[in-house]
Amino acid sequence: MTRGPVLVALRGATIGYGRRGLLAGVELEVAAGDFLALVGPNGGGKTTVLRSLLGALRVLAGRRELPRPLRVGYVPQRDHVDAIWPLTAGEVVLMGRTPGLGILRRPGPVDHRRVAGALEQVGIGELSGRRYGDLSGGQRQRTLIARALAAEPELLAVDEPTNGMDPAAELSTMDVLRDLHAGGTLAIVMVSHRLDAVANYARTLAFVDKERGLFRVGSLDEMLRPEPLSALYGRAVEVREEGGRRMVQPVIGGRP
Amino acid sequence: MSALGGFLAAREIWQAPLLASVMGGALLGFLGVYVVLRRTVFVSAALTQISTVGLVVGLFLEERLHVEAEHAHHQLGMAMGFAVAGALLLGALRPRRLPAEATVGAAWVIASAAVVLGISRLVHASHDLGGMVFGNAVAVPDDELWMIAAVALLCAALHLAFAKEITFASFDPETATALGLRVRTWDAVLSLTIGLAIPASARALGALPVFALLTLPASAALLLGLRLRGVFLVATAVGVLSAAGGYLASWFAETPTGATMVLVAALALLPGALRWARLGRA
Repeated sequence: MTRGPVLVALRGATIGYGRRGLLAGVELEVAAGDFLALVGPNGGGKTTVLRSLLGALRVLAGRRELPRPLRVGYVPQRDHVDAIWPLTAGEVVLMGRTPGLGILRRPGPVDHRRVAGALEQVGIGELSGRRYGDLSGGQRQRTLIARALAAEPELLAVDEPTNGMDPAAELSTMDVLRDLHAGGTLAIVMVSHRLDAVANYARTLAFVDKERGLFRVGSLDEMLRPEPLSALYGRAVEVREEGGRRMVQPVIGGRP
Repeated sequence: MSALGGFLAAREIWQAPLLASVMGGALLGFLGVYVVLRRTVFVSAALTQISTVGLVVGLFLEERLHVEAEHAHHQLGMAMGFAVAGALLLGALRPRRLPAEATVGAAWVIASAAVVLGISRLVHASHDLGGMVFGNAVAVPDDELWMIAAVALLCAALHLAFAKEITFASFDPETATALGLRVRTWDAVLSLTIGLAIPASARALGALPVFALLTLPASAALLLGLRLRGVFLVATAVGVLSAAGGYLASWFAETPTGATMVLVAALALLPGALRWARLGRA
């Protein structure tokens, strides 16, 4: 299958905060239509890679390539957004239009239509007037995805979207992302500490663990093999298929 | 002469302080919504103390070093300089190994100690300063009134122009940054307005009511379960009613002005508290 044009790339990048490099020599590119999952342990540097890719963090060495201006939608971890604010789901989604509007311009009918469309797209059109803080975890997650979509992104970046969700809500959220991706050329970059959660959705995987100095990218088939999985988990891991879904499990008593 | 007759006859005395109370109450009530929602209530307490340090330094320079600082606008300028610097510094200082509360607590306690030490060292101006801190200042000179008006206008203009950016940067700085918004700039604009509003109001109303007006009207509005725009409107109105109502109540009841303003503002919490009690979720 031919890939779309490259939207953004890190070339030989050292990434980190301040002057402290966490990972060096990072090579990563995202093209139109990609579905990339950054997987690794908590605190392993996945979000740092994502922020560097988006340009929110400057790379310490190497470079970030952006062939042309890129429209980005960003979905933060749900619990990073303070639900005490008295905002409706519609008002939260409208924030996604803010960067595109520019300073001193107020949202107009086009923006409100786009907000309604984004809420419909993730299946919560009827919740537009409900207070964000009163929504369930899954509904909040969909609201945040809708906000990202309201920016009409070419690249959708999603940070741990299924954290703290029950299995039903997790599947439902991942299905929303799959449907969005299936719709056309939207590229999705998703961060998850659970390989299980992404193994049935992503097309490309990047394993990230700063403690082991690990950064490795490949197609789903390349990465779901014993050797890369052992490099990520430090022990033998097997991938089984049940009911058409991949399950990633450690081998009891297995060695790397 | 009746109490009301006496009050109306003394118009020249209360006119300026009442006007200052109305403007200060509106300004602080509005900004308090950000202060409360950003969970930075104690930042405003620290800034109030830091601006008072500015006043102390101004009075100290005048009394000990005979540097001319007797006019209200000199002292206010010092207080504003300290508060704006404090606001920007507290915004920028986020040591990774310390929780934010520790930095704010340190700023508050150091500034408070500096005020106490300053008062102990001032001979002539310590009484005035006590009035400023607790809100017993009854006379508001014209230049101070103009200063409050100018600060209120500037803050209103900035918040009207950049409402969507300041709100986004406050509500979800992570996403705002990822989408390319200059979050530090918008935080600095908010800090600047708070850093100007606190000393401008504190000189006339006192530090205690300033802290109260940054906290209670916004809390009262939030308890009512309104949407954000409604919260800003109600908090502004409650700020005006608390400051002006408190001033008038203190006039007639002959009670300390600042403390009366605080109690009137606290009364505004009742409707929201009753609402929550009725909903069974308090």
